[in-house]
Amino acid sequence: MGELPFKPSQPLTLGVELELQIVNTRDYNLTRGASDLLGALAKKDGLGEFKPEITESMIEMSSSVHAGHAALLAELRAMRLAIVAAARKLNLGVAGGGAHPFQKWNDRRIYDTERFNRLASLYGFLAKQFTVFGQHVHVGCADGDEAVYLTHMFSRYVPHFIALSASSPFHQSEDTQFDSSRLSVVNAFPLSGRMPLARNWAEFESYFSKMRGFGVAGSMKDFYWDIRPKPEYGTIEIRVCDTPLSLERAAALAAYAQSLARYLRLERPREVCADLYLIYNTNRFQACRYGLEGELIDPFDGARARIHQDLAATFQRIAAHAEDLGCRPVVQGLLMGAQESGNDARRLRTRFKETQSFADVVRWQCEQWMLAPK
Amino acid sequence: MPDFLPALPLPPNHIIWFGVLLLAGVVGGEIAKRTFFLPRITGYAAAGLALGPEGFALLDRSLLDDLGVFAEISIGLILFELGHRIDLGWLKRSPRLVLTSLAESAASALLIYFTLRHFFSVGPLHSAAAAAIGIATSPAVVMRITADLGAEGQVTERTLLLTALNCSIAVLALTALIPSLYLEYHGGWRTIVLHPLYLLGGSFLLGLVASVVTLEALQWIGKRAEAQILLLIGLVLVTVGVALVLKLSVLLALLAYGGLVRNLDRNHSLVAPDFGLTGQMFFLVFFVLIGANLDLAAAAQGMAIGAAFVAVRFAGKTAGVMALIPGSGLKGRQGLLLAVALTPMSGLAVIMLQDTQSLFPEFGRALASLVLPAIVMLEMAGPILTQISLKLAGEARPERPDAAA
Repeated sequence: MGELPFKPSQPLTLGVELELQIVNTRDYNLTRGASDLLGALAKKDGLGEFKPEITESMIEMSSSVHAGHAALLAELRAMRLAIVAAARKLNLGVAGGGAHPFQKWNDRRIYDTERFNRLASLYGFLAKQFTVFGQHVHVGCADGDEAVYLTHMFSRYVPHFIALSASSPFHQSEDTQFDSSRLSVVNAFPLSGRMPLARNWAEFESYFSKMRGFGVAGSMKDFYWDIRPKPEYGTIEIRVCDTPLSLERAAALAAYAQSLARYLRLERPREVCADLYLIYNTNRFQACRYGLEGELIDPFDGARARIHQDLAATFQRIAAHAEDLGCRPVVQGLLMGAQESGNDARRLRTRFKETQSFADVVRWQCEQWMLAPK
Repeated sequence: MPDFLPALPLPPNHIIWFGVLLLAGVVGGEIAKRTFFLPRITGYAAAGLALGPEGFALLDRSLLDDLGVFAEISIGLILFELGHRIDLGWLKRSPRLVLTSLAESAASALLIYFTLRHFFSVGPLHSAAAAAIGIATSPAVVMRITADLGAEGQVTERTLLLTALNCSIAVLALTALIPSLYLEYHGGWRTIVLHPLYLLGGSFLLGLVASVVTLEALQWIGKRAEAQILLLIGLVLVTVGVALVLKLSVLLALLAYGGLVRNLDRNHSLVAPDFGLTGQMFFLVFFVLIGANLDLAAAAQGMAIGAAFVAVRFAGKTAGVMALIPGSGLKGRQGLLLAVALTPMSGLAVIMLQDTQSLFPEFGRALASLVLPAIVMLEMAGPILTQISLKLAGEARPERPDAAA
């Protein structure tokens, strides 16, 4: 047994974490609301958890572990009911979206815990700039070797997840021209990026113990990679998604990750190789910048396609797996016709064009998320 | 003497004095800020006190009366902003907030009333009017402190909301006493009936007209904060002036105006909810003038009554707020801090006194001797208490890390 034991879990089980924005309902700026909101949330048994994040304007909603999309969505909906009730009582708004369009990063307040204060003093302005909102998807793996394999193989599909979830076109009161500006914020951290080219869990453990020896990492939490194995949960964690504007889209993204994982682990279409990462950053940039219109180069055969075209092609490969997992209609709805239906970044831009007001955009985001549950 | 030179003695000049008030406020505010625990506005008021008749007497009463126009403007801006805090949607979702407001208003008013009646043998009408004035938390103090601290959170939000509500209740309660006052001071029956109706109906109507005009104008201007602020200041000035000319209640009209703009604004056309730097200039001068007008002599004479007034008012507000804390989403500690933050009493109370005094001079003077001691005490203590409360609640903006390092 190495020093980073991988706790096996039921393969293909599913869980998500969603970081949400907390805004006031006067001018719809981010506000200091996490501790009040957490205080007002009645703990309901059998539901997932609400947790603080690094600044007072963020709250994280994490689901329990589920076998599939239907159960996950049901739980997320119950959780939404709980947080919306608490937010209404406190006159706060809760919204999805990868970044707040007009907040000033220096107005943010660090949530008062030992870990967050330490991160804030280590990272300086990066910590407050890190008030961006992502969705993390966990997929269960049988063992560490499988986690390493899936982490590498998923990297080919990272642009899909970025483009489908992108919802941070505005940052600090400007249109960034990016569909996802959020990931550029993450890039600034020294331990961001991707997992090194370990081929199995033993190699990964030896990498990890070196990093720990250097004193730059104490646990997996210190690595802000796009995809990382999470040995204490027995999962891989996909971290590139912006929090979508609606909970339904968040659940659909999880269903896509699950179907893709099933395809990869059962069919093992490719083996891990160094070339996998040659154009990784280029593809990632294209997805952040152009969203579904971005260009994706296949690292294995060099084929080029628009991301929305590649999504349609991917659906053909994984449809049977989605079928077996009981989430085919959801995955089909997400992947097929993506160009016409567009992503949340496009919807946000349309909204801004109509209203010319970022406050109106955020109010609309709250409506999308809170959807009057009556 | 050649006649291109000014004649002696030099004539008084209001521009100079306005500048002096501003400068005195800046100096007072800076000194207060450097003490680290005094709020800026306490510094403004102290500077006013130093300049005024009770201090070095650079400003005399007649000059203060002339400068009063700046106070009228400021109170107009403050009441508009306060009215704009009343979010009927929130009140509808959380009726408990309305109950909290009624409870803390009623409890503090009743306690003040009985204390004055039974321990100080004050007549029922005087006690009732003093109790009505005691309901109101100073909106100017609460709004400036929250803005200066950059406070955000539930204690802050509810302090502002409860202040907006208890000011409205106080003004309505005092207006409701007018018929009794006319009965006491020999008004004809028509005056008894019609004057309160004119005040209430007329002020509300003025607020309504102003808000409709405002919303139309905002639509035309578009969602640009800077342009909106200037437009709003202009409209508030006109509304204050019209209320004065028509002898309506500036307090009621402006509260209604702000509240209606908030709640009739279906398109969310108002994007600038505060008056920015321009507003701050008026607020600063307002606090300096309040300090200059402080009547320390009256306070010294009424120490006992003032202390009792302050104590039971606080007890009433605390009891009312705490009674409805369970199930409100707030913790007990936050409720207590909320009650403390509601303590200030200041300019609005003075204006309510003056309004009463202008209608019923004799009654007003007697009323002033009951209320002024408490106002003077809370003029100093109120801002400090609100500031401490919001800091303890963890809602004030933390000092910038570069300042700490």
